[in-house]
Amino acid sequence: MCYTDCFNRPDAIRQELTTAEILRIMDEVAAAGTLELCLTGGEPLARPDFFQLYEHAIRCGFLVTIFSNGTLITEAHADRFAALRPHRIEISLHGMTRETFERITGGQGSYARCLQAITLLLDRQIPLVLKSTAMTLNMQEILDIKRYVESLGTVRYKLGEEMRPELDGGGVPFQYAMSEQDLADLNQQDTDLQKDACRRDSVEAPPCRSGMHSFHIDAYGQLQLCSGNRRQRFDLRTGSFQSGFFEALPTFVCEWKVPQEPALIQPAMHHA
Amino acid sequence: MTPTAIYTKNPDYVQRDVAGECILVPIRRTLTEANSIYVLNETGAALWYRIDGQRTAQDIVTDFCNEYEVATDQLANDFTLLLDDLLSIQAVEEIAR
Repeated sequence: MCYTDCFNRPDAIRQELTTAEILRIMDEVAAAGTLELCLTGGEPLARPDFFQLYEHAIRCGFLVTIFSNGTLITEAHADRFAALRPHRIEISLHGMTRETFERITGGQGSYARCLQAITLLLDRQIPLVLKSTAMTLNMQEILDIKRYVESLGTVRYKLGEEMRPELDGGGVPFQYAMSEQDLADLNQQDTDLQKDACRRDSVEAPPCRSGMHSFHIDAYGQLQLCSGNRRQRFDLRTGSFQSGFFEALPTFVCEWKVPQEPALIQPAMHHA
Repeated sequence: MTPTAIYTKNPDYVQRDVAGECILVPIRRTLTEANSIYVLNETGAALWYRIDGQRTAQDIVTDFCNEYEVATDQLANDFTLLLDDLLSIQAVEEIAR
């Protein structure tokens, strides 16, 4: 669920999994031996039952990561995170000025709320990652964002360069994609970014392992290979996670995935 | 190991069985422990399962030796090491001696 995107109209939100359905699926996922769980969205805290789900996940023994835009995290929420700690929280920090940040998020007041959330979580020593997606709208502020994150001490920074289409396949986001030259110029201005870029360029992308080591479940209970490949799906409202993961998922197609071979050892990374 | 000591598990640790391994996940962590989880080997897991807040350490060793072919002294040493580790991470607590 998200309150800033245009996909989640009320009729779509009404079709999202109920609390009971999510808790049941979570139990099945835990019983199958999954250790890491990422709660994302949209914005996961937009669900009124978020903490019921989150605290259940923690008590199941998952290492829980939360992807958030930070704008809904209040002092009371930060206290609840401090009481039952996540593995980490990753917050999108897309700009270092209010104008840029809110132009990207589309949410008035979101910049101040995001910075406030960062402070609240840092005060409680919650493991935090701040990340940005490089785009034409914020390319002038990426280095400022990185310097700000470095000034926070224990916080990691991640810069993403990949733009994704809208959930309905629309290409609107790509109008904000940076050119290769602009990305190269940006990376050359910072040693860490340059190192990351060199590493990405010098290593051949490993075959995708989605569906084997990882999976994605959308807000409607559809089990998929990953958030970037939702073409085939298994309905967890009607089938068990055990069936979906072990029987359906291995048959799903991904152009990044090499056909299964009887190799004794294979790379264990995926592109998602 | 104090033979008459009784240990109980800390409910702030969740036991997970993942791919055949017994993993202890602390659910209330400080920043320094934020990324720590603990994997028990086969013997460690078998001993962990027997810690129930009721049986003494000696009862657990005896029970284990009745089930597996293992020298009592060796197992007592192993259990002592395991208990030291579990106590140091506060995964167990001594509740009687």
